[in-house]
Amino acid sequence: MYVQRVECRLFRCLENVIFEPEPALNIIRGGNAQGKTSLLEAVLFAATSKSHRTNVESELPQYGADQFQLRLRAQRDTGAVDIESRWFRGTKRIKVNGVPQTRLSDLLGRVNVVFFSPEDVDLVRGGAAQRRRFLDMAISQVQPPYLAALQMYRQALRQRNELLRAAQPDHDHIAVWDAQLAQYGAVMTAQRAAFIAALSDHAARAYTQIAGAEPLALEYAPDVRMDESLAAVLERSRTSDIKRRVTQRGPHRDDFAVLVDARPARSHASQGQQKSAALAIKLAELALARERVGEYPVLMLDEVLAELDAQRARRLLDAIDPQVQCLMTTTELEDRHGFRDAGSALFRIERGRLEKD
Amino acid sequence: MLFSAPSVERLVEAFRRLPGIGKRTAERLALHLLSAPEEEAQLLSEAVLEARARVRQCSVCCNLTETDPCPVCADDRRDAATICVVERPAGAMAIEKGGAYRGRYHVLHGALSPIEGIGPSELRIDRLMRRLEEDAVREVILATNATAEGEVTATYLSQKIAALGIAVTRIAHGVPMGGGLEFADDATLAHAIEGRTPVR
Ligand SMILES: [Zn+2]
Repeated sequence: MYVQRVECRLFRCLENVIFEPEPALNIIRGGNAQGKTSLLEAVLFAATSKSHRTNVESELPQYGADQFQLRLRAQRDTGAVDIESRWFRGTKRIKVNGVPQTRLSDLLGRVNVVFFSPEDVDLVRGGAAQRRRFLDMAISQVQPPYLAALQMYRQALRQRNELLRAAQPDHDHIAVWDAQLAQYGAVMTAQRAAFIAALSDHAARAYTQIAGAEPLALEYAPDVRMDESLAAVLERSRTSDIKRRVTQRGPHRDDFAVLVDARPARSHASQGQQKSAALAIKLAELALARERVGEYPVLMLDEVLAELDAQRARRLLDAIDPQVQCLMTTTELEDRHGFRDAGSALFRIERGRLEKD
Repeated sequence: MLFSAPSVERLVEAFRRLPGIGKRTAERLALHLLSAPEEEAQLLSEAVLEARARVRQCSVCCNLTETDPCPVCADDRRDAATICVVERPAGAMAIEKGGAYRGRYHVLHGALSPIEGIGPSELRIDRLMRRLEEDAVREVILATNATAEGEVTATYLSQKIAALGIAVTRIAHGVPMGGGLEFADDATLAHAIEGRTPVR
């Protein structure tokens, strides 16, 4: 699938920008803080209702504005998809093909996107919470029932934690929330296990392509093992949970290990290896999404070239299937990779104004 | 804020407390009532007070009604051996519109939600259990919403009711996960009642 047209109004520094990328490789060039990243962020927000830079949506309107609008038109094998995202003083309204949508699950998966920015090295270097966020978003985009289970689980977790804080916790009442957590937790664990196993194969391949020889592997590290009953674990930890006033066990504590050369990349890999590993995971997400939904998502790479030497940059570009629509930003104003000769579309952005070269 | 008069602010606040009404809509409603002819405001306030004064909870099923018992509980042609449990009157109304259901109802007036301070004793569960002990009920259909709270309430009730040896079923088909009954269309709901499944 590919993005045909994006309209941004009052989004970040993009006061009124229309972006019409080509179906293959698109290079968006510009200096720092000129609006390159915001353009990708706009596509990401329209497609997922989330930003990679902030959870505070009131930071998204242009300085001094109380609203913004995004409109994204994409082409899929099955037809065109039109997403309208309007934000006004804290209220967000989303329409897909003109029909208002009230739930995130009705938006995700309409236009699949994979986003990579230099901060994504935290997938390898950062804490478990970052890896869980990646997993949840990646699986939700290709497997809507996962999102439904995740939302039910999260709500049950909030409710159970509230009960644990009560002056006199009612064990019978806690037990029914345990059952709820166990039911949806099992769905999450099973889907995460399958997803990571498949992701690991693709990531290993991508890593070899961009970084070289050492093998990369991803290993699921569930907090509660799949052969254990989550319901039983929750029941056993209930007394301790009440004392600490928080649910200590379950998929909300899951993680996955990123192994380079069979050792944890978080502590044992070089910075270069960590970056390549993070990128390989994202390219794996791309390949896996294609397997699951039948066509490639839109790939967005924010300032990855600056991070890579010429050889690795070449290898990265070679690793991307020409069928993939790629939106890539760079601060490099001269075309040292020869994008123009390779037939890529070149854009230039300056102070929030976009022009096609 | 558009206004500075305290009385107007109070009116806007009152609208905002209603479900589904945001700040902008509340302001629009208030502005409308203040610029419309005075009779319109009079009519609305009288209608609210009158309905409020006449409508109470049915002493049998806890649904909202002007007569006690309510028309469904008073109707001998309805099957008293089947009780459909819903969270809110809107749920009973939605199923009633589907037209396929011939049993009776029980309205809990909510679902288990510790965050909102709602435990078992805040719901009309005791009243339901008394009904089950006193009347000859063969089947209880749990039609709580497909939200985390609705599911948990169903689990809680099924455990209590199973102890009495009464069959418990849960509506299943077509009710979207995370959704309330009032958002499902009539045909979906009729299908959901027919396709109910036993609760383990
Ligand atoms: Zn009644």
